[in-house]
Amino acid sequence: MSTPARRRLMRDFKRLQEDPPTGVSGAPTDNNIMIWNAVIFGPHDTPFEDGTFKLTIEFTEEYPNKPPTVRFVSHMFHPNVYADGGICLDILQNRWSPTYDVSAILTSIQSLLSDPNPNSPANSMAAQLYKENRREYEKRVKACVEQSFID
Amino acid sequence: MKMADKSESSTNSDTPTNQDELILAQQRKIQQEISDTIPLVGPLDQISSLESEYSTDTIYLAKIKDLSSKYKSIRRTRPDGNCFFRAFGYAYIEKLLDDKEQFSLFYDLVEKSKNSLVALGFPQFTVEDFYDTFMEVLKRINDIDDASDAKKELHNLFNEQGYSDYMVVYLRLLTSGQLQKEQIFYSFFIDGERTVADFCHQEVEPMYKESDHIHIMGACSVLLTGVRVVYMDRGGNTSVTEHNIPQDRLTPDVYLLYRPGHYDILYL
Repeated sequence: MSTPARRRLMRDFKRLQEDPPTGVSGAPTDNNIMIWNAVIFGPHDTPFEDGTFKLTIEFTEEYPNKPPTVRFVSHMFHPNVYADGGICLDILQNRWSPTYDVSAILTSIQSLLSDPNPNSPANSMAAQLYKENRREYEKRVKACVEQSFID
Repeated sequence: MKMADKSESSTNSDTPTNQDELILAQQRKIQQEISDTIPLVGPLDQISSLESEYSTDTIYLAKIKDLSSKYKSIRRTRPDGNCFFRAFGYAYIEKLLDDKEQFSLFYDLVEKSKNSLVALGFPQFTVEDFYDTFMEVLKRINDIDDASDAKKELHNLFNEQGYSDYMVVYLRLLTSGQLQKEQIFYSFFIDGERTVADFCHQEVEPMYKESDHIHIMGACSVLLTGVRVVYMDRGGNTSVTEHNIPQDRLTPDVYLLYRPGHYDILYL
């Protein structure tokens, strides 16, 4: 059955294939267009470099009027990522706009990896190390990067 | 871009709970309860039907009496934060259906609007989706010769969530575009440090965000129309207060009843 959300997700998918942003990819799962798998490659010149981080994106029929639920499947060590993989990012919560599409979501999360906000922590250890002990922070992040090869 | 606002308590523990999702889940539940009981746009009702909502409130009862001396009927909209845009869009298009010439001017105006939004920096790919739906609705009702049949179709489409919400989104985008285009003027209406663009991203474009005076000004300005807002609250005297937007336009196309936090449509 075609609904506005499904129709829009087909458009998002088509655009992601035709005009993919650097360093991100995503596609619906085989039998359900409402659930997508995505990958974000760790941005260059950050401790996340070389990592391949997997995510799931779950949409409701209210998309694009409401944001999807985005979650890292790969283990992450990042100030704004919860232990369960949930992401603390304004555009996925109270600043969502229907003009965002899957490309915009993935590139926003990608730039969150480069630019964490330690003042709004979802992982207080990561936030604290990011602020006070950058070397240890980077060590912990690199462990995630290596883990991401195995996942 | 900034991180979502969080409560202080989450900074004290090493394993914060995902509070954002808990809050969102609760909001969803409340919204579901509202949407299960109130249609997006309701049928015409008598003004006196408001009395049952305020049976023991003498101030409101006096004001409802005053309201019914000025207006014949009311059409309720769902209180989901989109009520202004939904009421405004519905009432304005409904009014235009009585005048084919005005309707076609409006049609031309909307038809050209997508390019203006893209020129202002809105993403073409997503704007197009809402624009196409808006134009589809206008075409569908324009193809119906009989005005009262066209109004029935308008009513049906505005009660179909997919169409109705896309109409609201496009009206929000048009309003945002207008505020940003005239940002020097509108910046005087915004409190605090926010720029007009920030305000639009946070308060105008997102669905379910309530509308204020500035939203109405922007919407009227971009669509070249006027709204009269009739305020009814617990304050002061026994009569309702009427306000035209824009101020110098004495014959509005749309009449809205405002009770704190909510807009419904009024008819003369």
